[in-house]
Amino acid sequence: MVLEMEKFKEKIKTCLQNEPAFCTAACPFHLDIHDFMPKMQRGGFNAAYRTYLNTVGFPGIVSELCHEPCKNVCPRRLKDEAIAMKHLEKAAIKYARDLNPNSYNLAPKNKKIAIIGAGISGLGCALRLASKKYNVTVFERTDRIGGHLWDVLPPEVFLADIERQFMHEKYTLNLNTEITSLDELDFDAIYVATGKGGTDFGLKPDPEGAFASDKPGVFMGGELCGRNIIEALADGLQAINAIERYIKTGNMNQPKAKDKTEILINTDLISYMKPVLPDEGEVFTQENALYEAKRCLRCSCDACVRHCDLMSYYGKYPKRIGEEVEITVNPGTLDGNGTVATRLISTCNQCGLCKGICPQEIDTGDFLLQSHRAMRGKGAMPWAFHDFWLQDMEFTNSEAAGMCKLPKGFDKSRYVFFPGCQLGASDPWYVIESYRFLREKNPDTALILGCCGAPAEWAGDEQLHEAAVAKLREDWISLGKPIAVFACPTCRQMFRKYLPEIEGIFLYNLMSELGIKPSPRVNGDTVSVFDPCTTREEPELQHVIREIAEKAGFSLEPLPYEGKYAKCCSWGGQVSIANPSFAREVVKARISQNSNPYITYCINCRDIFDAAKKPVYHILDIIFGSHDKDQMLPTITQRRSNRINLKHKLLSEFWRDEAIMEQKESRIKLLITPELRQKLHKEMILETDIETVIEHCESTGRKVQIPESGHFFGHLQIGKMTYWVEYLPEDGKFNLINAYCHRMSIEEA
Amino acid sequence: MADNKVIICCKCKKELIPKKVYFKYLGHSFFTDILKCPDCGEVFIPEELVKGRMAEVEMQLEDK
Ligand code: SF4
Ligand code: SF4
Ligand SMILES: [Zn+2]
Repeated sequence: MVLEMEKFKEKIKTCLQNEPAFCTAACPFHLDIHDFMPKMQRGGFNAAYRTYLNTVGFPGIVSELCHEPCKNVCPRRLKDEAIAMKHLEKAAIKYARDLNPNSYNLAPKNKKIAIIGAGISGLGCALRLASKKYNVTVFERTDRIGGHLWDVLPPEVFLADIERQFMHEKYTLNLNTEITSLDELDFDAIYVATGKGGTDFGLKPDPEGAFASDKPGVFMGGELCGRNIIEALADGLQAINAIERYIKTGNMNQPKAKDKTEILINTDLISYMKPVLPDEGEVFTQENALYEAKRCLRCSCDACVRHCDLMSYYGKYPKRIGEEVEITVNPGTLDGNGTVATRLISTCNQCGLCKGICPQEIDTGDFLLQSHRAMRGKGAMPWAFHDFWLQDMEFTNSEAAGMCKLPKGFDKSRYVFFPGCQLGASDPWYVIESYRFLREKNPDTALILGCCGAPAEWAGDEQLHEAAVAKLREDWISLGKPIAVFACPTCRQMFRKYLPEIEGIFLYNLMSELGIKPSPRVNGDTVSVFDPCTTREEPELQHVIREIAEKAGFSLEPLPYEGKYAKCCSWGGQVSIANPSFAREVVKARISQNSNPYITYCINCRDIFDAAKKPVYHILDIIFGSHDKDQMLPTITQRRSNRINLKHKLLSEFWRDEAIMEQKESRIKLLITPELRQKLHKEMILETDIETVIEHCESTGRKVQIPESGHFFGHLQIGKMTYWVEYLPEDGKFNLINAYCHRMSIEEA
Repeated sequence: MADNKVIICCKCKKELIPKKVYFKYLGHSFFTDILKCPDCGEVFIPEELVKGRMAEVEMQLEDK
């Protein structure tokens, strides 16, 4: 565990969270798209203009002349069309309130800097230095400023821009002054920008520093160094960093700006958006600009926070999660004041999307599972987060609901059907129909009713999990090592991970191999297949499901998240007790991907969506012909009695003479209104526990009463949870008025 | 619901009165005044308290 966490810490160093966007990296000025674009997207033209101005120095010139290298790297170009940055920049200028530069009230610096060449590069450098109040002198060989600009832009355009940007700044301009030797200059630093083919004074670039020459204090850039006119301006603007470093430290080793980014964008997940052309002439209207700005993806490596529900819910990248979890698991190692991640650790759906979507394959989900185990191991994980599900697992494996059986007359089997805990809990019919089908095709097919161990895995309870796995292995051996037939993709995943020696196949693949005729639909509705997250690495299964659905006459429409990008329905990790609001958000996001009914093939997905009123089928509804569609979803109490009934029905249908199941001694009779039943269900209170509490109150006399209403109240701690009941006895029955429970226990003497 | 109503312990036929009661959760111990039978100590906690303050304390301790 410690080792795993260390590994994650190493891995996290490869995270690309702080890498620039493609356009930012390619832009000669490194225009920060994360600053510029959000302002454009909300129509803040003035604010966007300020960003642009501060970045490019001469917006009027750049918005005319930029060769838009950003367009060659924008990932939108692969989907529709690169973002029209220059149009957006022009729009920012056109709709900005105020075009004038800010004036900065700084104290003059007593450092003298010479600039040789009044072309765009030299002027850019002069502008930056002058606004920082250096003493700047520009030497120009000819009788005018602008250099190469005269060949490419009308003078009124660039001269106006230059004049505006220098409106608050002072510098000394020496026209008609040709410098022939640098020795004649007495300055603290010199920037040489003599343009294409201009004199280089015998200087050589020094690769060790940005804009550095081999002569201390002398920098060079612009078209002299083979740059184009826009890059030349960028050089001039950026040279100030190198110059200032030299003035402060005497070193010429300013690091060069990065023009590359490591980020990768998955173009599969970009949705098409029509590019915008200006409505009128050359310039965007405000509406054009807004629309075009909204097409921008604001690229960054944020695949994880964008796509992982947990990370987007918390707004935290893996690095931050790693740090917070570290403090939580090993308190005292860092001073983390209250930033504790117990609930965050318990919020991971264990869906595996993070690793699949991260270009560096950082596996945050696995890290959270390891952390969960560590917390559980130390007894630091609140029991309530997983207690209900661990009890449920125990129940599944209990005598009342669990079994492992060969058909009569066989001492080994080719297949064993493993429906998992929730399929029969949802409706015994699913399991019975499936098993009947399998037995018809292969009469020796055995059956295991039991749990795959997922609840223990998700609770981080390694001991319990190991025991569950060991039991499954034993059962499998006792059946003659058959091929396991899975109805639930989670079970399949657990077996793959912990029981790799057991060969397995999905029920649906086997059915389609053996031949099924799904009852055809006449209306050919359009539906979407919702791939459970546990099928991320099961492309064959995903394919078979689509085939079955199409055979049944549905037309299929893809979902944004499917196939290897399948997302969790909220069930994974059993996080809903630890973080109910997260679980609700996840469900909402999943069901609103489109308005089609879904077809899914995990019963938990099905039941969760159904509970949220999304029209949804389980693939078995399609295969066997859907039965009574608007039947109510079972409550948690019914999900248990369904499992008891399932065992009972299976025994009586397939093992006739063993069908004598002990009828449990009937307990007290409860009367519960449907509303109260739903409340108990929502609060995860089992009606069987309520019976136990009332029995306790009645047999011990430990109860209180409100004389006015006659209602009795009593409580009992069952396991760790304390349950309260409010009830009225009524002709030998008990009318349940209310029930509730709490996690803290009452210290009763 | 049960506010200000008389509540009687069925065993002792005594009226419950507010008394210090200790609770425990996740290794933390704390107390508050709860309706309690003066003789046998039977307690009563209304749903409002369970869903309100008690749930809050539970959450805080879980996040601690
Ligand atoms: S989509 Fe936006 S952020 Fe990404 S490269 Fe294109 S312009 Fe830049
Ligand atoms: S496993 Fe799923 S929920 Fe957990 S961190 Fe990864 S993507 Fe997020
Ligand atoms: Zn009493």
